[in-house]
Amino acid sequence: MSNSYPQPGAWDAYVARRSVIKGGAAVGAFAVGGSVLAACGGSDSFSGEIGSASGTLNIGSNASDPAPQAGLQAVVNAFPNADVDVVINTLDHNTYQENITTILQAQDDDVLAWFAGFRNKFFADQGLVGDISDVWENITGLGEGFKAASTASDGNQYFVPTSFYTWAINYSKKLWGENGYTEPTTSDELIGLAEQMMSDGVTPFAFANDGKWPIMGTFDALNLRLNGYDFHVDLMGGNGSWTDDRVRNVFTTWESLLPFHQEGANGRTWQEAATDVEEGRAGMYLLGTFAASNSEAFAADMDFFNVPEFDSAIGAGALDAPIDGFQMVASPTNEAAAKEMLLHMSTPLAQDAYLSEDPSVVASNSGANTSVYNDLQKKSSELASAATGISQFLDRDTIPDFAGACGDMFAEFIENPGGVDGMLADLEEKKVAIFADFNAG
Amino acid sequence: MISSRRNQIIAQVFLFAMAVLWMLPILGMIISSFRPYAETSTDPNGFFSWPDTLTLDNFRNAWARGNMPRHWFVTFLVVIPAVILVLFFSSMVAFAVSRYSWKFNIALLMLFTAGNLLPPQSIIQPLFQIYNRIPIPEFAPYSNSGELRGSLIGLILIHVAFQSGFCTFVLSNYMKTLPKELNEAAMVDGASLWRQYWQIVMPLTRPALGALATLEFAWIYNDYFWAVVLVQKGNDLPITSSLRNLSGEFFTDDNLVAAGSLIVVIPTILIYLALRRQFISGLSVGASKG
Repeated sequence: MSNSYPQPGAWDAYVARRSVIKGGAAVGAFAVGGSVLAACGGSDSFSGEIGSASGTLNIGSNASDPAPQAGLQAVVNAFPNADVDVVINTLDHNTYQENITTILQAQDDDVLAWFAGFRNKFFADQGLVGDISDVWENITGLGEGFKAASTASDGNQYFVPTSFYTWAINYSKKLWGENGYTEPTTSDELIGLAEQMMSDGVTPFAFANDGKWPIMGTFDALNLRLNGYDFHVDLMGGNGSWTDDRVRNVFTTWESLLPFHQEGANGRTWQEAATDVEEGRAGMYLLGTFAASNSEAFAADMDFFNVPEFDSAIGAGALDAPIDGFQMVASPTNEAAAKEMLLHMSTPLAQDAYLSEDPSVVASNSGANTSVYNDLQKKSSELASAATGISQFLDRDTIPDFAGACGDMFAEFIENPGGVDGMLADLEEKKVAIFADFNAG
Repeated sequence: MISSRRNQIIAQVFLFAMAVLWMLPILGMIISSFRPYAETSTDPNGFFSWPDTLTLDNFRNAWARGNMPRHWFVTFLVVIPAVILVLFFSSMVAFAVSRYSWKFNIALLMLFTAGNLLPPQSIIQPLFQIYNRIPIPEFAPYSNSGELRGSLIGLILIHVAFQSGFCTFVLSNYMKTLPKELNEAAMVDGASLWRQYWQIVMPLTRPALGALATLEFAWIYNDYFWAVVLVQKGNDLPITSSLRNLSGEFFTDDNLVAAGSLIVVIPTILIYLALRRQFISGLSVGASKG
C-alpha cells in the first residue's frame, strides 16, 4: 500500500492557470540553481545534505496543541546535525494563521509552519517566502502531487509538505452496529439512511459552526460532489461566479439536507457535535479526522466513510485533505540550517518521529513507516491515495479575506436558507472586490 | 437617623449583591481550573455541574505547555524597566510643570492628558510601520530582526510613551501640593535644579510614586494588545499575551486556560495584597487638587 499523496492532474492545471493569471513572467527564475543561493548569515551555504550548517535556527510553529507540539520537538530531536541549535517559537494556531503576513514580514524565524497549496503560493508570489528548489532537488519519497502543492507561479518550490489529514463523514461504530446502519455510497442511500435515523430517534447529522469554519467542509463536499473538482478549484481561485446556477444548486441541495442536521449550529462547537455523535444522539458528522481527538473513547469507537456520490458523472473521487508542512522566510538569518532542517522534515526519519507523538495525521513521505498506523490513519491514507482530486479546505484554498466572507455567508445561510439568492449576489460582489484588490496588489 | 440607617442597609445589600455578581465568574474559573476537561465536556450541565474529581493537572500542564518560566522572564524584562522609565520621565515633566511657570505649561499638560485618551488601536498601523523602519543595534537583547518591531525595547518604549501621560498628570497634581517655599529655600542654599528635583521633591513624592508604581506594574503586566501586535516571535511574548498559546487548532481546553490565567494573575494579586494601601491611594492620588 502506498501512502503517497495522489497526483491529481487538476493541480497542475490549476497551478498553470494561476501562472497565466499572474502573468507567468517569472519563468526565467527556473534557471536559478542552488549554487547561486548563498547563505546570508550563520553558517556555510546549503550543500544538498544535512551536516555542514551551524549556528542557531529559529522555527516558528503553530503547533499549540500538545500532540503536534511534542511531534515537532521529536522532529527537532531527530535532526542529525548537532551543530545547529534549534529554537521553536510556538504561537497558538489561530493567531498564527491570522498574523501570518506580519510573521512573514518580520522574518524573526527562519523556518515557518504553514499550509501547502494556495496559501503557500499566495505568499511565495509576493516574495515573502524563500525559494527552496535546491532542497527539493535532494528530496526523495514525495510524490508529484506534493511537489505541485509546493510550487508557486514561477515554477519553483517554496514548501515542504510533512503530513496531511482527510475530511470525511465520521460515525460511532457502536451506534451503527447496534442499529445495523451501513455506509452509503450514493446520495439516495445517504438520504435513506438519514430518514431511517430520524425514525430511530437519532439526529442524522451532527452540525456545528462555532468559529464559522467547520461548515465550510460541508460546502466543499457538496460542491466537489455536484460540480466536480475543477469547478471547485476555479471557484476558490475567484474565477467562477457565485450566482451561477451550479453554485445555486449546491445550496438547494444543502437546504434539502438541512432538516437532517442539528439546529443552532452557529452556536455549537465541533467538540459538542462530536460528543453528540460519540454518545449516540447524532448519527454522522462531516469533519476532519481530528474529530477523533475529542476523546480517547471516541478515537477507539470512530470510523468514517467518504462523502458518497451525488452525481454519477462527477463521482466521489475528490475530497478535502489539508496538507501541513514548513516553508522558509525570504531572507532567513541562517539559510543553510533552514534548508537542512526542511530537507530533514521531508524524510521518513523526521516524519516517523512526528507521527510517534501525533498519530492523528498521515505522513507525506512514501518511505514513512505505515506499519504503526492505526485504523483511522490507514483509512485516511487509502482515501487520499484513491482520490482523483484533492482540495485543501476552503480557508486554505482561497484568499484569506474571501474565505472569511464565505464563512459569514454560510453561517447566515443555515439560519435563513430562504434568503440564499441575496446572500450569493452579495458574496459575488465581495468576491469581485476582494480578488480585484488581490490581483492589483 | 432612621432613614440614613435604612440607606446604609440598602447600600450594603447592593454592594453585597454586586460583589457576588463579580465573584461568580471568578469562582467559576477557579472551580473549573481544578476539573478535568473530560468531566465538564461530558456532563450535560457542563460547567455548572457539581465537580466529581479535583486535580492540579491543569496547573501542571499550563505551566509546562505554556512555557511559563520563559514568558515570565520576558515579562519582567519588559515591566521593570518600563515602570522605572515611566516614573522617571513623567516625574521630570511633572517637576517642571509644577515648579516653574512657563507659557506652555497648560498646553503641555493638556497634550499629555489628551494622549491618555487616545485609543491605542487607532495608532497601531502607523506605529507598526514606524517600528518596522527603525533599526536597532544587534547587540541589544531580544532585538530579533534588528528593527524596533518585535524587539522588547520597542515594547518597553510604547509602554513608556502611553503610560507617561497619566503619570505626568498625577505626579504634577501631587507636586503642586508641596509648598513652593521648599524649593525657594533650597535655591537660596545653592541647590542646583537637579538637586532640587532629586533630593527635595522626589523624596516627598514617594507616596505618589509608590502608588503609581503598583498601578503601572499591574497595567503593563496585564497588557495584551501591544504585545500581540508588536511581538511576532512566540518565545518573546510576555506572560499575559502568551496565554493564548494554550489554545489549539481545533480544540481549546477551557479548564486549562482557566488554570493558566489563575497562575498568571498571582503576581498582580500578591502585589495588590502587599501594597493595597498604595493601590487604593493610587486610584485617588492627585484627585483632590486639580
